Amino acid sequence: MADKGSDPVALWQKMIGEMEKGFNAFANQAMSSPEFSKAMNQAGGATAGAQKQFGDLMEKYLLNMNLPSRAQMIGMAERLQTIESQLNEIKAMLQQMNAGNSPSGYAGAPRPPRTKRPPAVPGSAPPPSGEQK
Amino acid sequence: MNAPAGLDLASIPERIEAEVQRTIQRSIKGVEYFSTSGPTLGSTPKDILHARGTMNLYHYRALADEVYRVPVLIVMATTNRGYILDMVPGQSFIEFLLKCGYDVYMLDWTAPRPEERSLRMEDYVLDFIPDCVRRVQADSGEPDISVIGYCFGGVLSLLYGSIFSDGPMKNLICFTTPIDFRELKLFSNFSDRRYFDVDRLIDSVGNVPPEMILSSFEMLRPASRAVSQIQLWENIWNDEFVKSYRMFDRWATDTLPLAGEYFRAITKDLMWDNKLYNDTMTVGGRKAQLADIKLPILHAVAEHDHIVPYEAAKHLIAKVGSEDKEEVMLKGGHVSLVAGANAIKRLWPKLDSWLAGRSI
Repeated sequence: MADKGSDPVALWQKMIGEMEKGFNAFANQAMSSPEFSKAMNQAGGATAGAQKQFGDLMEKYLLNMNLPSRAQMIGMAERLQTIESQLNEIKAMLQQMNAGNSPSGYAGAPRPPRTKRPPAVPGSAPPPSGEQK
Repeated sequence: MNAPAGLDLASIPERIEAEVQRTIQRSIKGVEYFSTSGPTLGSTPKDILHARGTMNLYHYRALADEVYRVPVLIVMATTNRGYILDMVPGQSFIEFLLKCGYDVYMLDWTAPRPEERSLRMEDYVLDFIPDCVRRVQADSGEPDISVIGYCFGGVLSLLYGSIFSDGPMKNLICFTTPIDFRELKLFSNFSDRRYFDVDRLIDSVGNVPPEMILSSFEMLRPASRAVSQIQLWENIWNDEFVKSYRMFDRWATDTLPLAGEYFRAITKDLMWDNKLYNDTMTVGGRKAQLADIKLPILHAVAEHDHIVPYEAAKHLIAKVGSEDKEEVMLKGGHVSLVAGANAIKRLWPKLDSWLAGRSI
């Protein structure tokens, strides 16, 4: 069998690995500059600004069409979330109440005893203290 | 003409045959790849102990006949899903802990809804974590709890531990947790306060979209996604490689949005003012200083972590007030430290040997 040095597949994989490292290092260096941050955030800011303007326009449009706006939907979702939370609380309480009657539920499921000890290691010291590295 | 040194001419037909076989396998498996879903992830049996908005508290079902007295609560990073710690049987950190005899709970996150944009750092540190801790105490019947925080889950656990320094946390384990945010060089540059208008962003979008979080992670290694796809094609005949690729790729791209106000606080307090490192951090008006943490603490860092480099993580052990503290640097990257073959042989046994004696 050919050794790694002359195996074309291994050489190809090595080349790809080296290219990845080289490109990542080059890109990281380029992205470390304040100019990159400025350009990236200007582009991102413009997108966010456009998105906000579009959102404002859409809200006006929905109002004219007599449709609920995003803010109103969020308000409704908040109320739904509160209802869901209360339902979850009620569900948890019901499970706890049923625990005594039914052994098959979560709370009624058998739990192993909390008696486990760490396996003894011959000649081992007690848990270490002090900073280590 | 002579063959180059090291090239065995007799092996060429054998190699050509192997490559032809692989090419055929690639075509067959390539079709399979697109027509099937990946392995089922996060399948270790569990119960939802509590769910509230973005917060989910799971309790995993025991896999041992007896468990250690002190339960373990895992606090997941808010940017990613917790199933990285519960991939598939045999490659699940949760399953490993359960089989070792730990009683395991996890605080995992779902995507915050638009109405949760107002969640602040104090909601996470002073409400969600304490709420989960109380529920774990009530469910397990134990007053003490060991906490494991992964990445930013480690930051949240540290903030919680520094504010509630008199308990009930008994042990703290952090995986790849940043302390000096200036050393997250690229993130720091992306969020340069001279150019990054975080207020405008949050006021515009509410919650920070997952695509933005994912892009910022991918920008740290911009060539890696393309190269990983080349590697996938080369190895698509190899079922184990494909399974592993699909697991990690699915998790890596399954990024969560971040609640707007929470992101604003991370940017201003941590990225801009580096308050955790400078000992000036407050959460909801309460001081959160690492020196106030006095409990046993283990910090596992990865040698080749490109997301949280060692320079950003190394101050944790020096800054906490604990006497019983240890930092362990293991081979691997930010993700391979905690999941996959590397983690199975390195981090997991190390964690078990550290935690077992402290869990009784």
